[in-house]
Amino acid sequence: MADDMITEGMLDMFIFETEQGLETLENVGLDSRDAGEFDDDHVNEIFRIMHTIKGASAVMMYQNIATLAHKLEDVFYFIRESKPENIPHAELLDYIFEVSDFINGELEKIKEGSDPDGVADELIANLDTYLKKIQGSAGGGSAKKEEAPPAHAPEEDKPHFYIAPVASEDSHFYSIYITYSPDTDMANIKAYIAVNALKGIAEDILFTPSDIISNPDSASVVLEFGFKIALQTTETADVIMDLINTSSGIDQVEVNECTSDEFLKFCAEAEAGNHPGSSAGEVLLGPIEQPTVRTDAKPKEIPLTEEEEKVSVARKAEKEEEQEKKKLAPKKKKPAKKAETQSFISVNIQKMDLLMDLIGELVIAQSVVLQNPDLKVPGLDLSNFQKAAVQLTKISSELQDAIMAMRMMPLKNTFQKMNRIVYDTSKKLGKDIELEVIGEDTEVDKNIIEHVSDPLMHLIRNSVDHGIESNEKRQEIGKHEKGKIVLAAKNEGGQVWISVSDNGKGLKRDEILEKAKKNGLLGNRSERDLTDKEVFNFITLPGFSTKKQVTEYSGRGVGMDVVVKNIQEVGGVLEIESEEGKGSTMTMKIPLTLAIIDGMIFSVAGTNFVSATNAVSEFIRVDEDQLVIEPDGEEYVMIREICYPLVRLNRFYHMSNSKENLSDGIVIILNHEDRKIAVFADELVGEQEIVVKPIPSYIKKVKGISGCTQLGDGSISLILDIGDLIGK
Amino acid sequence: MRTLIAEDDFASRKFMLKFLSKYGECDPTVDGMEAVDAYLMGLEADMPYDLVCLDIMMPKLDGYQALKAIRDIEDERNIPENKRAKIIMTTALNEGANVNRAFDLGCVAYAGKPIDQAKFENVLRKLELI
Amino acid sequence: MSKENLKQVLNDEEIVTENKKQYMTFRSCDEVYGLSLENVSEIIGLQQFTEIPETEDYIRGLINLRGKVIPVVDVRIRFGREQLEYTDRTSVIVIQVKGTVLGLIVDGIEGVVEIGESEVSAPPSVSTIEQQAQKFVFGIGRVNGEVKLLLDAEKLINDSEEEEESEDEEE
Repeated sequence: MADDMITEGMLDMFIFETEQGLETLENVGLDSRDAGEFDDDHVNEIFRIMHTIKGASAVMMYQNIATLAHKLEDVFYFIRESKPENIPHAELLDYIFEVSDFINGELEKIKEGSDPDGVADELIANLDTYLKKIQGSAGGGSAKKEEAPPAHAPEEDKPHFYIAPVASEDSHFYSIYITYSPDTDMANIKAYIAVNALKGIAEDILFTPSDIISNPDSASVVLEFGFKIALQTTETADVIMDLINTSSGIDQVEVNECTSDEFLKFCAEAEAGNHPGSSAGEVLLGPIEQPTVRTDAKPKEIPLTEEEEKVSVARKAEKEEEQEKKKLAPKKKKPAKKAETQSFISVNIQKMDLLMDLIGELVIAQSVVLQNPDLKVPGLDLSNFQKAAVQLTKISSELQDAIMAMRMMPLKNTFQKMNRIVYDTSKKLGKDIELEVIGEDTEVDKNIIEHVSDPLMHLIRNSVDHGIESNEKRQEIGKHEKGKIVLAAKNEGGQVWISVSDNGKGLKRDEILEKAKKNGLLGNRSERDLTDKEVFNFITLPGFSTKKQVTEYSGRGVGMDVVVKNIQEVGGVLEIESEEGKGSTMTMKIPLTLAIIDGMIFSVAGTNFVSATNAVSEFIRVDEDQLVIEPDGEEYVMIREICYPLVRLNRFYHMSNSKENLSDGIVIILNHEDRKIAVFADELVGEQEIVVKPIPSYIKKVKGISGCTQLGDGSISLILDIGDLIGK
Repeated sequence: MRTLIAEDDFASRKFMLKFLSKYGECDPTVDGMEAVDAYLMGLEADMPYDLVCLDIMMPKLDGYQALKAIRDIEDERNIPENKRAKIIMTTALNEGANVNRAFDLGCVAYAGKPIDQAKFENVLRKLELI
Repeated sequence: MSKENLKQVLNDEEIVTENKKQYMTFRSCDEVYGLSLENVSEIIGLQQFTEIPETEDYIRGLINLRGKVIPVVDVRIRFGREQLEYTDRTSVIVIQVKGTVLGLIVDGIEGVVEIGESEVSAPPSVSTIEQQAQKFVFGIGRVNGEVKLLLDAEKLINDSEEEEESEDEEE
C-alpha cells in the first residue's frame, strides 16, 4: 500500500486501490483480446493485481472478495509458473470480467455503507473447473506443478485484520479554545463541566491544563491562559458550541476543525505535561504555549471586543462551510498510472473547483477595479495605472488559462470504458465488431467529462445494437468487412468534437420522415424543405424511436432525446450524419470549458442581459423600414437581403420603460446552431469576461435565461440562452 | 483466554471489559505504561495474556509505544511466534498510515472505534482465540 | 454506549435554564413579525437589484451580496399588501435555511427579542392576519404585552414550489 496516501482513511484507501486495480485488470484484458492470449507481462500484472486485492480485502475482512481474488490469483499463478499452451483465452477473459464486475459490485455496496454480502460461489467453482482444465491439458508430465497453487503460501505475510468501525459518520477532529471572564469563580471546575458536556459525543477528548480537577491552582491558569480541548467526534462544530455553552462563565469559545495529525500532536504535548509532579504552572511553561491549537494563544486580554468575537464567529462559519464541502467531496480521484506518479500529485477536485471559483471572482474583482467610476474623474492622468492594468489583465488571463489546463483530463479513461461496452454488448448480440479509438489523448474539462460519459455510452450501444447489422445480415447483403465502430475525439475551435461512427445500416430517411409526420412533428413545413440533418434530428425528439422492438441494450425507454439533453446541459450539440446502407456518424460538439466565457452585455429597460460573445455575429442599428410584419404578427428584419426573425426582449419579457422604435435601440444578431435570430435591445453596454452562475433555485426557471453573472460594477446581469429563447 | 485491555477512557474501557469478559478473564489498565507492566507481570507469573487490546491515544505510553515495548520484550525473551500475545489496536484513528504503522509494529488486527463487535469476534475466531 | 450514563453521574452541576429562543423582529404592514435568529444571517440596507422578468411580483430581483447572487422578496407583496415606496428605513433581512439564501425586504427592523416556549401560542385559525401571511406564521409570541407573529423561515424559502397550486385556488 502506497504511503503517499496517508491522509486517506483505511476504507477509502482500500476502495481506491481496488478500483484502480480492477481498472487496470480490465484494460489488460481488453488489450489481450486481439492477440488471443496473455503475454508474460499481462500474466504478471494480473497476478499482481489479484494478489494485492486478495491481501487488502482479507485485511478488511471482506471474505467473499478475498476468496474470489484468491481463486483468480491461483489461476494466474498456474499460468505464470507452468506456462500452459493454448489455454481457452476467451473463456478466461469472460471470467476476468465477471470477477471484476463482482468485485466492483461489492465495492459499491461498501461505498454505500452496507456489507459486501454477494456470493461468488458459482464463479469460484467455474474458475476452479477452468484451472483443473488447464492443469489437465498442460499434461500430467509435471505433477509437482499441479500442487503449485496451494503451495505458494510461503510468500504470504502474516495475516492482518482491519476491523472497520461500525458505520457512522466520519469523525472530525477539533481544537477548542475557551476563555473565561476574569472574575469567574472556580474556572477549573467550569472547564471540567465543559469537558464533561462534551464527553457524551466524544470519541476521544484531551484537554490542557489536564489537572483541573486535582489541582485547585489550575483555576488561575485557566483564567489567564484559557482552556484548550482536543476533541474527536462525529458531531459538527455547532453541536460542540451548544454543549460547551451549557456551562457558565464562558467569555469566548473558538471551535476549529483540525487534522488528525495536529490532533495527535496536541495530544502528545498535552500528555507530555501530564507527568506526575507537574503543576499547572509547569504545564504552561512547557507545551501549551506552542501553537498546537490553531487559534492564537491570546494573552490575558480582558473582555474581547465585540468585533473580535464576530471575527471568530465568521471564521467558524468559514470552517463549517469548508467542512460541508469536504463532506460533499467525491471520493473518486484521478487515477494516475503507476509509472507517471512521480511527476503527478493528485488534488482533491473540490480544491480545484474552489480555485476555479476564486479565479472567477478575481476576474470580476479585476473588472470592478479597472472600470471603477472613481477613475472617471476628468483630467486624471492614468497612464501609469493603465500600464499596470494591462499587466494585471495579462497575468489574470494567464492564470485562467493555467487553471483551465489543470482541470483538463484526457478522454482516455472514458474511452476505455467504451471498449468494455462494445465488447460486452457485441458479444451478447453475437455481432463481430471492432472498435477503433482515435484521439483518446484529447483533453476536456473534468466537469465536462462527467457529462459526456453517459451520452457516449448510449451512442455506442445504439451503434452496436441498431447501427451494425447482424453477421448473417451483413453476409446476405454482401458487406464483407467486419462491423466497425470508430470513436474519435478532436479539438475544433474552442470545442471538442467526439464522434461515434459505424459502418452499419445507417438511418432510413423515409422511415423517420414517415414517423415524424405521423407524430405531427413536421408542423407546417413541407417534406421537401427539410435537409437530411433536420430529418435525422427528429430522432432526438422525446418519444421518437423508429425501432419497433425494444432490446436490452438500447431503446429501453431512454432514447436519443436523453442523450441530447445531457449534451445540451454542458452547452453542446449533437450532429447526425448518415447514409443509408453505409453507416452513421453522431458527433457531439462540446465546449472545452464552462466556467468563464466572453460575454456581450446589452440592456433592456435597465436590466442587463449577457450573451456569449461567440454567439453574437453582429450588432447593427436598424431602421423601421427594414421591419417586416407578417399577418400573424411575427416580425422579421431584413438586413442585407437576409431575413431574420425578430425577438423584442422588452415585449418578450413584458418590460416597460424601454425603447420601442427600432431605430432608437440596437439589434443583435445571434447564432444558435444553424439558425440566426435578431434580438432587439435598448443599448449595447459592453463586453466582459463573465463567470457563469446559476440563478438561485428559489426562482423558477424563466424561459430564455440560463444563469446570471456579476458585472464589473457589481450589478447582476442575466445570461440569455438563445436556444431556449427561440424554443428550439 | 486471558485478555489485557489498555484504554484511558473510562467508558471505552468499561465497554471492552464487558464485551470481552464473556471469553475469559480480562484485566483493565489505564495507560500504555501500566499495560506493559501488566504484560510483564503476566509473563513473570507464567500466566501470559493471550490477547492484548491497546488504545492508541493514551497517556504516558501511547499504543504504538506499548505495542513496540511488548514485542521487544518478547524478542528479548525469545518467545516463539505462536506463544506471543495477539495484539489488537482499538482506536478511532482510522487513517491508512496509522493502520499500516501498527501492522508494521506487529499487531495482528486493527479495530476502528466505535468497535464492530461482530467483526471483532470474527477476528478472534480467526486467531483461534475463541 | 455507556458514555451517556457516565455523563449523568459526573454531570451533577447541570445548569437549568428555560428554553428561550431569540427572534429578529421587524415591521411590515403595521404588524411585527419575528424570525428565529438561527435563520437570520445578516441585515443589509436596500441595494440596487436586477429585476428578473416573468417572475412572481413579490420577487423583486437579484442582488449581489459579496459575490453571492441572492434573490430578494418584498414581504409586503408576499403577504398580499400594497408595495410601499422604499425609504431609508427599508432593510433587507438575509435568511438562510438549509443552504438556501433569501433576502426579505421589510419596512424596518425592530430588534432582537427572547421569547420562551411558554410565551408562544398557536396562531388562531380565524384571525386578522393577512390571509397570505397566515401560512407562514407558526405561532404568536407575546413579549411585554406586544404581539409578534412568528414566521417559519423554512416555509418562506420553500413556498415557491407550493405556489402554483395555492395561487390557482386563490384566484
